[in-house]
Amino acid sequence: MTDDNGLREINVDYLARVEGEGAMYLKLDGDEIIDLEFSIFEPPRFYEAFLRGRRHAEAPDITSRICGICPIAYQMSSINAMEFAAGAKVHPQIRALRRMLYCGEWVESHALHVYMLHAPDFLGYESAIELAEDLPEVVTNALRLKKLGNTVMTLLGGREIHPINMRVGGFYRTPTRKELDSLVEELEWALATSEATVRLVSGFDFPDFEMPYEFVALRHPDEYAITDGRIVSSEGLDIDVSEWPEHFEETHVERSNALHATLRERGTYHVGPMARFTLNHDNLTPRAEAVADEVGLECGERNPFKSIIVRSVELVLACEEILGLISSYERPPAPWIPVEPRSAVGHGASEAPRGILYHRYEIDDEGFIADARIVPPTSQNQRSIEEDLRQFVAPRTHIADDELKWQLEQAIRNYDPCISCATHFLDLTIDRVT
Amino acid sequence: MERIVIGVGNRDRGDDAAGIAVAERVTGTISHVVPTGAMDLYELWTAHDSVVIIDAMRSDAAVGTVRRFDVSATPPPAETFASTHACGPAAGIEIARALGRLPTSIEVIGIEVGDLAVGSAMSEPVEAAVDDLAAELSDA
Repeated sequence: MTDDNGLREINVDYLARVEGEGAMYLKLDGDEIIDLEFSIFEPPRFYEAFLRGRRHAEAPDITSRICGICPIAYQMSSINAMEFAAGAKVHPQIRALRRMLYCGEWVESHALHVYMLHAPDFLGYESAIELAEDLPEVVTNALRLKKLGNTVMTLLGGREIHPINMRVGGFYRTPTRKELDSLVEELEWALATSEATVRLVSGFDFPDFEMPYEFVALRHPDEYAITDGRIVSSEGLDIDVSEWPEHFEETHVERSNALHATLRERGTYHVGPMARFTLNHDNLTPRAEAVADEVGLECGERNPFKSIIVRSVELVLACEEILGLISSYERPPAPWIPVEPRSAVGHGASEAPRGILYHRYEIDDEGFIADARIVPPTSQNQRSIEEDLRQFVAPRTHIADDELKWQLEQAIRNYDPCISCATHFLDLTIDRVT
Repeated sequence: MERIVIGVGNRDRGDDAAGIAVAERVTGTISHVVPTGAMDLYELWTAHDSVVIIDAMRSDAAVGTVRRFDVSATPPPAETFASTHACGPAAGIEIARALGRLPTSIEVIGIEVGDLAVGSAMSEPVEAAVDDLAAELSDA
């Protein structure tokens, strides 16, 4: 829309194919960007406030309620923080089960995004419904992959949405080998289908666009980091998770109900599949590495539109990981170890499907949570999303509004933003003077 | 094959809990609640040839008004059944239609909602509509 003064406004009041309620606003004067905002208006949910006063062991079940797509990420990061605070170390097979469960969440989340939310952008469909009409076998495969992710979540997590089986110290119940073996045949189908997905999406047309991101991801010496690791970046950051507050900060901006996170030294950074792929490239599983090489996906890829290829490679990796972990599974001697809380500060992070999810808790000497802080990936990527939009639109201002709007929405969906997760709010204080 | 009653919504957002409340209150029939995205809705009715989906509805009707939509042949009005998730039940039904996975009979029942504030309870007219529908679907 162009007004009487020649100013052009492009408004997306309600972003489609993302989780939660967000918007985008762009104002142009000729080729000049006057204003550009990616805003999150999903209502604040105050999780950090109502975690205070709850017992340390309740955090996984409470925080898993933040997201219906990545509840395992919330459980894992909170459990890492509580076990860190208590100085607890779990059995290696408990850790393996957690990784298996987490990979199930990746399969469910990545299958949903790659096929149903992101692929329609590249294929020219408004929604997954049109995709289903024209390419039913693609959508059937996508939903079968998603269902497999849900099955893994149900078997290991107790149920597919907001699972309840993982706890501080381990699991309430561990699976039998026979139960895990029941997944193998479908996982082998999923592995081959995921490889085909990489080949399919790598053939899409991608805009010529790159950004000089500072990638930030977890890194583990022996594996593609998912459940835990050190925090590293493409600019040389290499810190323990407990050092997060010294290197990162969050600020409130008026337009958004989600805090904006920045690196204290360098500002904007980027978390998620592309960051993981670059920073953990040497730890890809064999078939994930082979198919990434086959389609020419390079370590350090910085075109955000190609995140769909990276997510698909991570689908391959997740299936391969679950299969490998099943083959080496031995039921642990006990489903959990007792974790006695102590007065301490706990830090935990894990790689949610959309990137690092950081938790910090202050535990008092009776085991109650005195303070909580949760930093989800979409909150960390907000500035990166806005900078992408700004750089992307600059040479494309000549494009007609509808087409430009489509491309900008696509640029946001590159991040698979989970707006519901990102939403929280600054502390609210009510001062009553009378 | 037996009928399934599917309730959609968010139990923590006032009147948006209507669909879930109906599914939880029906007796003598199979029911299921869907608290989040509904892309693979058809997985719920693979063993059923009759499906009733209850959801919160926004039209111009009075709060608590109940409307029925036979969606066997035509889509539900998507704007009436919005979702903050990446895919709501209306889209879930249409994906099933595109894939040839609709049951023989599928009906969407909408309950007109008012307050959707986080943490609020269902309003009186919606509570009454939920009770009436639960009783009706239990007896059927």
